[in-house]
Amino acid sequence: MHLAAKDLTVRLQGRPALDGVSLDLPPGTQALVLGPSGAGKTVLLKALAGLVMEARPAVRWDGGPVEEGRQAAFGMVFQSDALFDSATVRENVEYPLLRRGAAPGEAAARAGEALAEVGLQGAEGKLPEALSGGMRKRAGLARALVARPEVLLLDDPLAGLDPLTAHGVAELVMRAAEGRTLLVAAPEPPPHLRLSRWIWLGRGRVLHDGAPAPAPVVEGGDLA
Amino acid sequence: MNPVRELGGAALLGARAAVAVRRVPGRVFLRELWTQLDQIAVRSAGLVITGMAFFGAVLISIANAQARRFTGNLVVLGPAYFELLVREFGPVTSSLLVAARYGASSAAEISSMSVTEQLDAIRMCAGDPASDVVAPRVLAGAIAVPALCLLGTTAAALSAALTALLAFHVDGWAFLDPRFIDAPDLLSSGAKVLLSGLYIPLVAAVRALPARGGSAAVGRATTQAVVAACLGCLVIDVLVGLAFRVLGL
Amino acid sequence: MIGALGRRALLGLRWMGAGAVLSGRVIARLPRMRGREVVRSAARLGADSAPLVLLAAVVTGMLMVLQTQLYVERYGARAFLGWAASFAVLWEFGPLLLGMMLAARAGAQNAAELAALSASGHLEGLEGVALDPIALLVAPRMTALLAASAVLSALFFLVAIGFEMAAAVVSLRLPPQVFLGSLRESLGLRDLLAGVIKSTAFGSAVAVISSLSGLRARGGARAVGEATARSVQRAAAAIFGLDFLLTQVLTPLLGGPR
Repeated sequence: MHLAAKDLTVRLQGRPALDGVSLDLPPGTQALVLGPSGAGKTVLLKALAGLVMEARPAVRWDGGPVEEGRQAAFGMVFQSDALFDSATVRENVEYPLLRRGAAPGEAAARAGEALAEVGLQGAEGKLPEALSGGMRKRAGLARALVARPEVLLLDDPLAGLDPLTAHGVAELVMRAAEGRTLLVAAPEPPPHLRLSRWIWLGRGRVLHDGAPAPAPVVEGGDLA
Repeated sequence: MNPVRELGGAALLGARAAVAVRRVPGRVFLRELWTQLDQIAVRSAGLVITGMAFFGAVLISIANAQARRFTGNLVVLGPAYFELLVREFGPVTSSLLVAARYGASSAAEISSMSVTEQLDAIRMCAGDPASDVVAPRVLAGAIAVPALCLLGTTAAALSAALTALLAFHVDGWAFLDPRFIDAPDLLSSGAKVLLSGLYIPLVAAVRALPARGGSAAVGRATTQAVVAACLGCLVIDVLVGLAFRVLGL
Repeated sequence: MIGALGRRALLGLRWMGAGAVLSGRVIARLPRMRGREVVRSAARLGADSAPLVLLAAVVTGMLMVLQTQLYVERYGARAFLGWAASFAVLWEFGPLLLGMMLAARAGAQNAAELAALSASGHLEGLEGVALDPIALLVAPRMTALLAASAVLSALFFLVAIGFEMAAAVVSLRLPPQVFLGSLRESLGLRDLLAGVIKSTAFGSAVAVISSLSGLRARGGARAVGEATARSVQRAAAAIFGLDFLLTQVLTPLLGGPR
């Protein structure tokens, strides 16, 4: 249940995308990961989710590394939605269950529930390209939630949404995050998401980790 | 463009896919396999049949020019040309067409999935791109490419026979005469098309899986994949041909 | 089924129409193009494709000998092998394989680059500032591809025939003199011309088709991938079709008995 990173360093194309990041995320943590583009937010989320091979030794979940089999406890919504574009919305949401060996009937039922939770009941048979931006985010959220994860990682979930849609999605996120560890990455603090812990990243390093505070200023001016 | 590294990369990916595929529930795998079979067989059949039909007709013109030089008699070349078609030209030209079609579309799909984080999403959904994306394509290739090559060779042979009859006024049946075709011919063709069917999707995946960036990466991966797939078919043809010659078949 | 075939045929015709329009616009641009830029593009294209073309030529040379020795032996025509295999390379397999390699390498790359520009709105941006994207981007690329394919074909033939001779020496123990003798005796400039004409025709088909595919791309990364894949398969179809047409046309003109 306890997620932690110790001295996490990830190099991408020669540069350190993450440089000695240490974070302690006890169960129930609800945090914003903030910083300009290039600061390392996406890499951090992916590293915590076990998607970055190089980072696996530095991340500990419940005492062990985050690898196949243990990743089941994580749900992630990607910056680009990452919905499977040749599958319907329902097939997208069923996939995590079917892939883990669930029977088709059970998978369909649970997927239906997850879609209802995010307000997409009518869109089950549609392809992702037919959905609006807000609907795609909701579908991604449903897919991340359907396997009942303990940790929810959201990469810039409100990007490109108009204020009304963003508000709706943010409400969903807050509801879904109850009782879970939640990490939301964003370039700036989103007005609709009030989380108690803010982590500011700059050039791959943690600049601030604690109560909500404005962006820290770094020598050189540029944070990324 | 190191051919040994290409082959090594493809073999490694193939091995990983073969190992990982055991963890995929049958239903999930079969669904993707079916989708890929449709992609490769149904969508490529048109190209293979028309291309090979044109090819067969041209072959007769070449045969005619050569016959005029050797024997003055085109019909005599019939059985030999049929054998050449079955053993050599049919398999390699058909697989080239499939490599152009399926190699390109596979690489385009996989690389755009990689760039839009869909492969990461697969991993987060307890999947593995090697077994969920690559393995079905490789199996589909192994099944469909031989079938397509059979179709293509038939189209070429029929077209050749028809051209011989209509354009050169000789007995078309001579070009469908199987008297020279023996087991080694069929084995050699079979080996070529099976290996090509395995290789085309593998090499496309090797190029496409690591794609990072945006559209530029997708374009690059697709281009490299098609080149590698086409070259691979040619090289497989030479290697199998050499192997059979060395074995004296 | 007939409906599907009919639709396909109509699509093909529309494509040919669009291709004709594009070629027309490019030809109209020719006098105003900067020669130096075209030469530079052609050189870059040629250099990029050369290793692939060379490799394909080597493989073709070996393949031709492997293939033809079967029936040359059967008819005891060893002395003719040099001519028979080279004739096939010049008239058929050379241009065909060269065309496929061009479609796969230069064509796909061209389509990918144009698709990336088209999908990201660059082309519309150019039009917005009264610059013609056809003149700036497409025409130089197409001309360069044409020039490159003519030159690459000569290179291909040279290497392929060279490797044929080597393969014949090694596998059939055919003395090079015999190989070259039959070549010199029966192979003429007309055969070389046929090969170059076909290769250049295939190169222009690749140029037109890859440019059209790229220009029509709309969307994101996925559209770029689809445009690239589509350009390769359409070019392949066009090459095989053109091959048939050109063989019919060129044989009476250039392939007459000597």
